[in-house]
Amino acid sequence: MTSKDLIVTVEITDANGSTFTLREVCERGDCHAEFVIKLVSYGIIAPIEEVPEARQWQFDVDALARLQKAMRLQRDLKLNLPGLAVSLDLLDEVQDMRREIARLNQQLRQLMDD
Amino acid sequence: MDFKDYYAVLGVSESASPEDIKKAYRKLARKFHPDVSKEENATDKFKDVGEAYEVLKDPEKRAEYDQLRKYGAKGDGSFQPPPGWQSASGFGGGGYTEADASQFSDFFEEIFGGARRGGASSEAGGGFRQSRKMRGEDVHARLALFLEEAFNGCDKQVSFTVHDADEHGRVMPRQKTLKVKIPAGMRDGQHIRLKGQGAPGMGGGEPGDLFIEVELAPHPHFAVEGHDVLLTVPVAPWEAALGATITIPTMAGKVNVKVPQGTTSGRKLRLKGKGFPGKHPGDQIVILQVAMPEQHSPEATKLYEKLAELEKGFNPRNKLHV
Repeated sequence: MTSKDLIVTVEITDANGSTFTLREVCERGDCHAEFVIKLVSYGIIAPIEEVPEARQWQFDVDALARLQKAMRLQRDLKLNLPGLAVSLDLLDEVQDMRREIARLNQQLRQLMDD
Repeated sequence: MDFKDYYAVLGVSESASPEDIKKAYRKLARKFHPDVSKEENATDKFKDVGEAYEVLKDPEKRAEYDQLRKYGAKGDGSFQPPPGWQSASGFGGGGYTEADASQFSDFFEEIFGGARRGGASSEAGGGFRQSRKMRGEDVHARLALFLEEAFNGCDKQVSFTVHDADEHGRVMPRQKTLKVKIPAGMRDGQHIRLKGQGAPGMGGGEPGDLFIEVELAPHPHFAVEGHDVLLTVPVAPWEAALGATITIPTMAGKVNVKVPQGTTSGRKLRLKGKGFPGKHPGDQIVILQVAMPEQHSPEATKLYEKLAELEKGFNPRNKLHV
């Protein structure tokens, strides 16, 4: 069954777009709530608003994507939670720096062209 | 079928100790992990490394592989297993805790079989999934767009892998392709969700969703910062000195802007609402840069000499205290 040549209507998810409860996040990530709560306590992912009651947490798509990345890294590289936290922070930093370098390179090229 | 040299994949010698093999695997797994590596084909390399380790870490499988390696590697790199070959170690026991066997190569399949026929972990999971209602996996994918495509919206073909069960209940990766309408005004890092386009659910469960994260390819002229679009615009020295009306490009077409009299390099002009569209549309920020002609006519040189005489008091290196 292929669904080629099908134009799908899409939904943009941003800060005020769709959010997910702890239960939905666990269902989508195929993981236990305890694991998500641990990730939150290590600052690896964060609910949109940090309320003490985990049942009231709401997560955005970024958190969902990050949870899956964390699970892949944990499974493939056998990282523990502090290791995961450091790796994901550093990966974010590397990505930001790559973007910044690309932007600066582009500006530099424009200045050199003149 | 090509012969796979697992020792070469891990970069170890045939006589490497189990400890060396583990060390090499760990290092390469970190290096090629698709979430970490920016290298091209990182995903394939990561799979190769995992497959090589799956075999070489197990003394029984390693011995079988060594035997085959002696026998099977022909000069041209192709490979045929000996007639009647059957692996003793196999993969019936569901020994897959870390590797996804369904992703392994045909070579692996031919030698150790069972990955797809026997009981890999995805299958153990599959059987369990069948017995109860389970939501399909969400799929997270990235999509690179040119700035023009992101700004104006476009139709894009998106390919991704979903895991679902075939008619025998085996969980297999399947390539899925969709044509997706990307709405106008998508910015770097924004997600779109396609409901129900992830992996199919099991036992009557809902399908997962497809999430696409947009990545903007660098543009030769425009840069993006949040909702704003940045553009460096060269102006002639006399345009900067006297002021001028110039034509410049924006993402939505050409516009005329006024360069104020006495402009210096780096001066910014803000064109309201000419940035990314949306609820709070961004602006286009124009950075003016004074450009010099490469050559001057003798008349112009004379005029510059006159200017130099008239503006003697101006020290552009004032801040350098010289």
